[in-house]
Amino acid sequence: MSAAPYRLPPHPGERIDRDKPVAFSFEGRTYEGLAGDTVASALAAHGVKILSRSFKYRRPRGVLTMAGQDANTLIQLGDAPNVPADTLAIAQGLEVAGQNYSGSLARDWGSWIGHFGRFLPVGFYYKAFFRPKGAWRFWEPVVRGRAGLGRVDVKAHHRYYDKAYAWHDVAVIGGGPAGMAAALEAARAGADVLLVEENPYLGGSLAYARADAEGELALRRLTQLSGAVRGAGVRVMTGAMCQGVFGENWLSVIQGDRMHKVRAKEVVLATGSVEQPAIFRNNDLPGIMQGSAAQRLIRLYGVRPGKRAIVVTANSDGYGVALDLLDAGVEVAALLDLRAAPPSCARSEAARQRGVRVVPRYAPWEGVIGKDGTVSGLRIARVVGHGRCDAPDETIDCDLICMSIGYAPSAQLLHHAGGKAAYDKASATFTIRGVPPHMAVAGSMDGAYEIEAAMTDGRRAGWDAVTRLGKTADEPPMASKGGAGWNHPWPVFPHPEGKDFVDFDEDLQVSDIRNAIAEGYDHIELLKRYSTAGMGPSQGRHTALTLARLAAEATGRDIEIVGATTVRPPVSGEKFGHLAGRGFEPVRLTAMHHRHVELGAQMMPAGLWLRPAYYATPDKRAEAIRAEAAAVREGVGIIDVSTLGGFDVRGPDAAELLNRLYTFNYKNQPVGRARYALMCDQTGAIIDDGVAARFHDQHFYVTATTGGADRVYQSMLWWNAQWRLDVDVTSLTAAYAGVNIAGPRARDALAKLCKDVDLSANAFPYMGVRLGTVAGIPARLLRVGFVGELGYELHVPASQGEALWDALLYAGREFDIRPFGVEAQRLLRMEKGHIIVGQDTDGETHPYMADMGWAIAKKKPFFIGMRAIAAQMQRPLPRKLVGFALTNPLDPVPEECHLVVRDGAIVGRVTSAAYSDSLRRIIGLAFVAPDQTEPGSRFTIKIGEKKLIEAEVVKLPFYDPDGKRQEM
Amino acid sequence: MVRPVEYARRSFLHRRLAEHGAVFAEVAGAAVADHYGGVDGEAVGAAQLALADLSPLPRIGFKGRNALNWMISQGVRGLQTDNAVDVQYDGVRAARLAPSEGLVLCDLEAKSGTVARLAEAWSLESAPLCFLVPRADSHYWFAVTGTRAAEMFAKVCGVDLRPDRFAVGSVAQTSVARNNAIIIRRDMGHTLAYDILGDSASADYMWRCLLDAMAEFGGKPAGLSALRRLAAE
Repeated sequence: MSAAPYRLPPHPGERIDRDKPVAFSFEGRTYEGLAGDTVASALAAHGVKILSRSFKYRRPRGVLTMAGQDANTLIQLGDAPNVPADTLAIAQGLEVAGQNYSGSLARDWGSWIGHFGRFLPVGFYYKAFFRPKGAWRFWEPVVRGRAGLGRVDVKAHHRYYDKAYAWHDVAVIGGGPAGMAAALEAARAGADVLLVEENPYLGGSLAYARADAEGELALRRLTQLSGAVRGAGVRVMTGAMCQGVFGENWLSVIQGDRMHKVRAKEVVLATGSVEQPAIFRNNDLPGIMQGSAAQRLIRLYGVRPGKRAIVVTANSDGYGVALDLLDAGVEVAALLDLRAAPPSCARSEAARQRGVRVVPRYAPWEGVIGKDGTVSGLRIARVVGHGRCDAPDETIDCDLICMSIGYAPSAQLLHHAGGKAAYDKASATFTIRGVPPHMAVAGSMDGAYEIEAAMTDGRRAGWDAVTRLGKTADEPPMASKGGAGWNHPWPVFPHPEGKDFVDFDEDLQVSDIRNAIAEGYDHIELLKRYSTAGMGPSQGRHTALTLARLAAEATGRDIEIVGATTVRPPVSGEKFGHLAGRGFEPVRLTAMHHRHVELGAQMMPAGLWLRPAYYATPDKRAEAIRAEAAAVREGVGIIDVSTLGGFDVRGPDAAELLNRLYTFNYKNQPVGRARYALMCDQTGAIIDDGVAARFHDQHFYVTATTGGADRVYQSMLWWNAQWRLDVDVTSLTAAYAGVNIAGPRARDALAKLCKDVDLSANAFPYMGVRLGTVAGIPARLLRVGFVGELGYELHVPASQGEALWDALLYAGREFDIRPFGVEAQRLLRMEKGHIIVGQDTDGETHPYMADMGWAIAKKKPFFIGMRAIAAQMQRPLPRKLVGFALTNPLDPVPEECHLVVRDGAIVGRVTSAAYSDSLRRIIGLAFVAPDQTEPGSRFTIKIGEKKLIEAEVVKLPFYDPDGKRQEM
Repeated sequence: MVRPVEYARRSFLHRRLAEHGAVFAEVAGAAVADHYGGVDGEAVGAAQLALADLSPLPRIGFKGRNALNWMISQGVRGLQTDNAVDVQYDGVRAARLAPSEGLVLCDLEAKSGTVARLAEAWSLESAPLCFLVPRADSHYWFAVTGTRAAEMFAKVCGVDLRPDRFAVGSVAQTSVARNNAIIIRRDMGHTLAYDILGDSASADYMWRCLLDAMAEFGGKPAGLSALRRLAAE
């Protein structure tokens, strides 16, 4: 590591810590910077000027703004491409590199393409590579390989990003003189104020600009304002970028790895203005930068930006730049003032007194390229008209050119909110024309360029905001604004040989823009899209003004009519990680979840729930499912059914509500009995099923499928609100844990724990429901079964669900009780011919199509879907659900959605299929043609691409057709 | 040593609490995380930021057209304003969630018999058009305490819960980390504190979410004893 030859002695206001050296590497070489340095400033201190290569022509690029506003300083940081070197703080051990080059950053062998620029006009690849057909497939990787910025690691690990909400009375965006003044005014009036500043420090231009001849005013004001802001209780967020303004003042503010979602009653935009580049040949060379960039290097980072400089200006600030350069020990070879007769001001007089050679009415004509690819001089020419010059008459050696020819308001956020900006001839830049409600603008973006004017404008904006909030404060004066004299109306000096860049991001030259307009893309929006001007990382900050000027000139339209292109969020680059934030992925666990895991269950998602699929390692899946099913058929098993929806429907109209919602009749349902509950939508399609257990004349407990519970609850509430019945619906899905104990020994096992309910078949028959206790736990007992065996569904308070599970397993040991999972349950229910809504039905399946006409009460006047079903039954059924068995036991098990075909046409599909140990054959459910539904009918299932297998229709249920086992 | 599995009624996340080192104590017929090793330290930490599981403590809800009238007839005070809590004479708090819905939370000591008394008094016959809601099973119950609590909530909830905007006794029925939740401001002594109640099946998820959101502020689990100490200050 060598000493930093361009580092200046300490001075007030610098942002570096001279006592904290920091070593980092760039392009594999180690450099030493100081804490507070950015990569660009630390490298500049070592005289490193080339930071990257340009997008199209691979031209060397260096510092332009020192504000993270351009693509010239984008570098590769580990797996993160396109990181602005001029805002990225150095850190010990940081490793960064240039990007978009072949060979080395200093000598890019790919830069030859720049010599062929005239053959690569805007949109050349649209026109060149589409013939012959298929050619683009060849050219695309070539073009994409050469273009682009940086390298994305598609395997990069997801970092921890998150989001946070914030609420404030007033949000002020921009911590410069206007923003601080606005925040202070609002806070002093009692408002809750947020001040957002993109830099790591407050101050904006106060931190680096020279507002007076002495160079003291800005720093003095900064000290005063920032101290007052912090003392006033303003919440200050530095290093925070407001990326967008959305509806009702919803602001997205990125700070570090967090997106703050800020809701503000009032917003003050004080985002400043962006210094504009002059357009001349080779205006992109490293060493050519904005005047403000040079000042940032000097004042913030203590770095001398060059040895011999030329300042190109059209306003007083350029003279301030010259004075700062002199103070930093830089020789100012000349100051070109584009204006014919520059007015005198304190700074210009001071510059002249210090011997600066002021050359009025002269323009930069061509930057001279040095041996190392950076600027080594400037050819200058006398301005003779609108963008026209005499032949250059002098070449001045220099290693630094500072451009201070004007500003454009940084109005992106205003545009997001629906505000307007338009070109103003008097001030020769865009000015604010419309501000949305509950928003104010202040400072240089509002045309208040002088410090005192900006502060006054800020105070006024802050006062406006709090006044709209109903707070009272003394009315501050109006600011004296007006941008005349700050912006040159035509700082564009096209060169016959080009390389006069209008857009550095996309390597667009003046001729590119003119040619695009000549091709017919003469509307500013079309021009932007076709040329891609303003579509790079700078987002038009340095392009939009010149683009509008060139478009106006080429089309002959008034520049005020040409307008500006649409501006959309985000203001600057943001990461997908910021948008995604922290992933919230809710998971619902049943009360018995951990018991399943302890028993070795493989858990499967069911909506937000996790359910046990089977209890074994995956390699023993099939055996486990068979064994679990056998336990239910031969002994006793238990399954966690807590995920089923559960609803208490209570009140005088409880039966009426169910009667309208479900297909059966519930009005005549006796207390102590359950009924199947089939729900359709208004088209008649089946959407859910469950049971309705009546525990009281005014109380039904209704279950629903796991996946349909939310929809059923929503439907119940919605229809109840429509019908205004005297009934209440309470969701108990999470409140009740459920266990189904099933199998020939279920009664024996349950009897050991349930002493207050007579479990005998006569006293508690199939489809009976009782209230009692199981293992001392208050329980709702439903004698229903999905699996076709003697069984009881036990619903208990969720907090006691685990205890119930434990007690059942313990009590059932002597009967070899075994937990069974969803997979076994699906097999068992299929043997019984029970459908699973959503698997054996779809969005067009009405009850008759599913062979469930038995579930419809024929005599009641109404239920949801009734009319639609009746209408559909006027026509022949297009298909019908049947049970089937494969005729050849050696055929493979069909999969869900395998097609039922006849004569090459699709007539149905398989909905469920599996091998049944109990039946010793492959069985399933399928939709078939109406004339194929008779038991014994045979139909064809297409397996995969070509294989056809035969199946035979079997009367449902396959298992225990008389229901003796479940009713025992 | 009190073990949660010795009780039929168990916290929805008693294993998670045990993983944190919880030492349980019997309260209201269930095992509650009393502390995690040191009450003194937890009380200090809880004044900054802490998360406590109160799920085993009694609570009950009622809804229906006549719910609030019936609750008032049973001696519950207040219930005049939506989304507001009224503290009862015995420390129990009653919240009016809607014109047709009320929620009753027991005191930290769980000594009041109000919740049990209301449950005992209720039936479809005795309370027409008033329907009991088993809030002790439908909802977990956590407490978030400490001066950084509102900051932490800002990471997971879109409602402004800052103490100067969300007064003691206020109720927000909102979304927290994509889960429905009821948040109640209930300071403990001089310490800012909130109750949060939500889907009991999501208790483990929410516990992890909140602890994750608390990490940057140093928030940790705290036991009931630490909360009682805060409340007594």
